[in-house]
Amino acid sequence: MRHFNLGDFDYIVLAARWTVLLSLYGLLTGGVIGVGIALLRTSRSVAGRVFAIGYIRLFQGTPLLLQLFLVFFGADMLGLPLGAEMSAVLGFGLNAGAFLGEIWRGAIQSVPVGQVEAARALGLGYFPRMLRVVLPQALRIAIPPTVGFVVNMIKSTSLAAIIGFVELTRAGQQINNATFRPFLIFGLVAVIYFILCWPLTIASRRLETRLGAAYQR
Amino acid sequence: MKCIRFLIGALLLVIMAARTPAGAQTIDEIVSRGSINIGVLVDLPPYGILNDKQEPDGYDIDVAKLLGSYLGVKVNLVQLTSPNRIPFLLTNKVDLIVATFGITPERAKSVMFSIPYSAIENVVFAPKGKTITKLDDLRGLRVGVPRGTVQDVLLSKSLGSAVKISRFDDDPSTYQALLAGQVDAIAETGLTGDLFYAQHPEGNIERKFILLQQPNGITMRKDQWSLHQWVDTFVYFTKNDGELDAFYQKWFKKPLPNLPTF
Repeated sequence: MRHFNLGDFDYIVLAARWTVLLSLYGLLTGGVIGVGIALLRTSRSVAGRVFAIGYIRLFQGTPLLLQLFLVFFGADMLGLPLGAEMSAVLGFGLNAGAFLGEIWRGAIQSVPVGQVEAARALGLGYFPRMLRVVLPQALRIAIPPTVGFVVNMIKSTSLAAIIGFVELTRAGQQINNATFRPFLIFGLVAVIYFILCWPLTIASRRLETRLGAAYQR
Repeated sequence: MKCIRFLIGALLLVIMAARTPAGAQTIDEIVSRGSINIGVLVDLPPYGILNDKQEPDGYDIDVAKLLGSYLGVKVNLVQLTSPNRIPFLLTNKVDLIVATFGITPERAKSVMFSIPYSAIENVVFAPKGKTITKLDDLRGLRVGVPRGTVQDVLLSKSLGSAVKISRFDDDPSTYQALLAGQVDAIAETGLTGDLFYAQHPEGNIERKFILLQQPNGITMRKDQWSLHQWVDTFVYFTKNDGELDAFYQKWFKKPLPNLPTF
C-alpha cells in the first residue's frame, strides 16, 4: 500500500481525455447512424421501417455492457481484431444510434402533420421538405432529450473498462486499489464528471431559448 | 448486476464453443515472434498494482517479466480485470495470464494451470471485541467478501444461508465496509488487510483465523501444451534457485510459502 501522490492525480485527470474522446467519437458515429435510423423509421418504405424498428429493439433491449463485450470479442472471432479503442467507439456508436434514432424519430413525428401537408401542397420533394420544413422544427424539440442522452452516455463510458479501456472511472479504481483512499479518489472522479456534464446542460438551455425565440408569444 | 454476470458467463460459453481452432500455439512461435503478451491484474495489491509512477508493478508483474527474460522475448503487459481474464485468454488477446488465478477443478475445465507460483492467504478479519476462531463462529453474522472469489464460494458452500454474505466489487470496498461497520467480519487477503488496518487503528480490527491458503497458477489455453510444459519448468526452476522467494520477500516481507505441486 502506498500514498496518493501528484502523479496519481495527473493520471486520473489525464484519463478524463479518454472519457471525452470515447464520448465524442461514439456520439459522432451514433449521430450518423441515428439520423439514418430516424429517417428510415419515419419513411414510407415498409422494409426501411421494419429494419429501423428491429435495430432499435435489438440495441435498446440488450445491456450496453454486453454489446461492448460482443463487439470486442466477437470481432476477434470473425478474424477482425479491432482493439479496445475501436471496439468501444463502435459499440457506443451502435448503441447511441438506436437511442438517438428513436429520440429524433419522436421529434420528427411531433412536427404537426399540417406542416408536412402544406410543404407537399407547395410541391416540395422529400429532401427539401425534410431539410427546410420538418427538421428545423424537429431540432428544437429534440434538444432536451438529446442532451439528456449525451450526459448519460458520458457517464456510461465507464462500462468500457470491461474490454480493457482505461477511462476516468477505471483509472480511479486502479489508483484506489493501490492507495485505499476511496473518498478522495472517487470524490475527484465525480468532480471531473460534473465538470464534463454541467456545461452541456447549460448549453442545452441556452440553445433551447434561442431556437424557441421564434415561438414565443 | 447478477443477471449481467450470468449473461456474460453464457456468452463466454458461446465464445468458447464457437472459437475456431486456430491451431495450438507452440513455444517456438512465441520465441520466433520475439514477444509475449501477458495478462496481469493491477488492482490486487501487492500481487499487481500501479506503482507511484502509475506503471504496473507487484509480485505477478515481476514474475511475468522474469518469465519473458527466461524465454528471451519482449514482454507486453496487458492489464486485465478479474471478470475479463478468461475471455481475453480464450480469444488469443493474451498468450498467458499471471494474475493470481486460483487453481480450481471448475476453472480447469476451460483453461490450463501451471504448477503453483504463489499463494494467497485468505483471512477472516473482525473487530477485536468479537470472539471468532473458526468457520462456525461466523454463523448469523454479516460477512463481507469480494464477489466471485474463492472465499465467496467457500463460505456460501460451507455455511449456506446460516451466514449473511455481502458481496463487494473489489478489495478496497470490502476492507472499507468492515471499517464502516456495514458488515461484522470479512474474508480477505491476509497481508493487504494487515497493512490496511494498521493504517486505521481506530477500527480496532484484527486477524481472526486463516480461512484457506489458495495456490495460484500461471494460466493458459487448454491446447497450449508445449508452452505449458515450459512454464512448469520455469516455475520449478525459479522456485528452486530462490528467484520466486526473492520476489516474495520483496513484496510480502516473508519467505515463499511451501507450494504444493501437481
